[in-house]
Amino acid sequence: MANFNIDAKQDMTYDAIVIGSGISGGWAAKELCEKGLKTLVLERGRLVEHVKDYPTMTLDPWDTELRGGLTPEQKARHPQGGRVGFIGEMNEHFHANDVENPYTEVKPFLWVRAHQMGGRSLLWGKQTYRWSDLDFEANAKDGHGVDWPIRYKDLAPWYTYVEKFAGISGEALGLPQLPDSHFLPPMELNCVEKHVKSRIEKDFPGRNMIIGRVAHLTEPINGRGKCQFRNRCDRGCPYGAYFSSNAVTLPAANATGNLTIRPFSIVQSIVYDEQTGKASGVRIIDAETNADIVYNAKIIFVNASTLSTTQILLNSTSNRFPNGLGNDSGELGHNLMDHTYRVGAMGKVEGFEDQYYKGRRPNGIYIPRYVNLQGGPQSDKFVRGFGYQGGGGRSNWGAGANEPDFGADFKDRMMKPGPWEFFITGFAECLPYHENKVYLNKDVLDKWGQPTLSIDAEWGANELALNEQIRIDAKEMLDRAGLKEVIDFDNKHEMGYGIHEMGTARMGRDPKTSVLNGFNQVHACKNVFVTDGACMTSSSCVNPSLTYMALTARAADHAVSELKKMNL
Amino acid sequence: MNRRDAIRKTALMAGTAAGVPSFLSLLQACSKQERLTWVPEFLSEDQARFISAFVDTILPKTDTPGALDVKADVFIDLVYARTYDQKAQENVVAEIEKFNATAKDKFGNVFADLSLEDKTAFLKEQEANSPKFNPRVWGTAVGKQEPVGFYRGLKSMTLWAYFSSEEIGKNVLSYDPIPGEYKGCIPLADVGNSWSL
Repeated sequence: MANFNIDAKQDMTYDAIVIGSGISGGWAAKELCEKGLKTLVLERGRLVEHVKDYPTMTLDPWDTELRGGLTPEQKARHPQGGRVGFIGEMNEHFHANDVENPYTEVKPFLWVRAHQMGGRSLLWGKQTYRWSDLDFEANAKDGHGVDWPIRYKDLAPWYTYVEKFAGISGEALGLPQLPDSHFLPPMELNCVEKHVKSRIEKDFPGRNMIIGRVAHLTEPINGRGKCQFRNRCDRGCPYGAYFSSNAVTLPAANATGNLTIRPFSIVQSIVYDEQTGKASGVRIIDAETNADIVYNAKIIFVNASTLSTTQILLNSTSNRFPNGLGNDSGELGHNLMDHTYRVGAMGKVEGFEDQYYKGRRPNGIYIPRYVNLQGGPQSDKFVRGFGYQGGGGRSNWGAGANEPDFGADFKDRMMKPGPWEFFITGFAECLPYHENKVYLNKDVLDKWGQPTLSIDAEWGANELALNEQIRIDAKEMLDRAGLKEVIDFDNKHEMGYGIHEMGTARMGRDPKTSVLNGFNQVHACKNVFVTDGACMTSSSCVNPSLTYMALTARAADHAVSELKKMNL
Repeated sequence: MNRRDAIRKTALMAGTAAGVPSFLSLLQACSKQERLTWVPEFLSEDQARFISAFVDTILPKTDTPGALDVKADVFIDLVYARTYDQKAQENVVAEIEKFNATAKDKFGNVFADLSLEDKTAFLKEQEANSPKFNPRVWGTAVGKQEPVGFYRGLKSMTLWAYFSSEEIGKNVLSYDPIPGEYKGCIPLADVGNSWSL
């Protein structure tokens, strides 16, 4: 792979600056570079080059001394993010250091961050679903939040555009609430998932259980290999089979010759020019030398990830914007959303003892939203809805600690697959509440002396009502499907566990109540674009990353078109 | 010098000062039974003998290797040494002492020196009185997890130490690092033992 140009000393001025190199930043870089713009990507952390910088990608458990365990020193780097339960020896190097980058939980909030080239695109769940007008019209219809300035038809061609390049596997179903993508072949359900699917679809008309739609290649495209079913994605994929900035968009941007990526660049603020009424550049602190540097550009894409993007905007003050860039409405930092998570049910499936599967499929099942559909019955307990993710498989020795015995027979039994188990867990839509907010904390500074974020957000009554329905429905579906020992659960997680932070710089039609317009431009500073999760006006119950990709490609197209018309 | 340093230093001396009679007799004096064939990084000799006896009782050698064959005890000592903070390490020591004190009280000797029959009887009692792990979804326990106690925690570590070893993972379980495909329904007979990864 071609080396990245990291020499940002040559030029202090670019056509475009992209802040952040995760899912949306990678797309912004690719689109802007391919349209001929000299583009500087500012990355807070280190370079992570595809394959070369995936040190654990092929390691078996016994290949490291601690077989996945973390030392106290490693654990101490993640006092907050570590709560997510995913951090281990094989991926610790892709998780941000909470001590150097503290945040304040006014109310409990889990913030999982990844400070390196590629960001969380190296760690994400790859579930990729289109949103629909059920989502884009929701605020207008029930009056929560403000209306989206776009509808599905505005985004549909851009979904297709990004899907063709990213590579999405799945099955077309023609559901209006979950529009089909441009699909590569779907992954397969296993015996028990097929069984549960047939029971649920028979007993609950209107409910579907499908294989997850995912950004994993099931056929090679664009020189990337297909998924080898190792399920070691969070270490980086040597085949480039899942979508990440590192494997997909940044190499494409680099291939144009227009990309410069500058690692260790902590964005302090966006520089606003009072004379021109536009942003003129970005001020950074070099994370290694503490040097204070300003880069200039005609357009700026802010893709630092939802909360970091808003942190930068809040810290970008000027005479014109004393409360943060683009914050005329006072909504910057507000309307923080996430998806509820870890509410559902699980149980055992009898039979199929002589059946097994091959491969570690990095994917599960999906049950699309079936409540409060357009034209369908409406709940009197809550607005909006939820979907489920889950899956089935056979237990193994990992369940052995709970077995009531030990010794020779026990050991022999632990060699064999245990019973089939199946679970589903809901993801519910979260309403945009003005009260759920983040703001700058000048009393707690990061390693570089910059103000940090305070996060003050919690679930509202609607989310709790949705969770209750998720739990009840999950148990009912698994009971009716004939599962045994069905347990329903609600872990009552705080916000952030969904790792789907959205909002805090929302799009809207009215500059008085929103931060961004229908093309993700800051209303009052149109050469600044925000196309990561911060821009979201509502949260849907559907995973958001594919929508960030589509919004970014659409905004980049608009930006270049406006540049050509000399409007920016 | 803290305990861990003392043990490290002992290990170093054992490695470099073999043949120093006073030192060897000191070691022998505090181990009535068979001496360890390995040098623990964290545990004392007696504590290590307890871990060895425990893992051997949980997963004994049959026609497949036992926990001692794959050095599960050595790995558990390493986990204590490298991944536990000081407070957790102190807790391990206290729990082992407590375990041995109870064994002495009920069966007249520390766990490692009990007959297999007595070891089994003792662990059965522990098994019946230990809380269980809650089911997990995506790495997180479902519901509120009460502490499972020392016995079940160590049983869990024993399974981990055994099944994540190269010998078991590669040669006993079904090992397929790069499956290349996903097949959702195949006869179990075509695979045999569980997949190791």
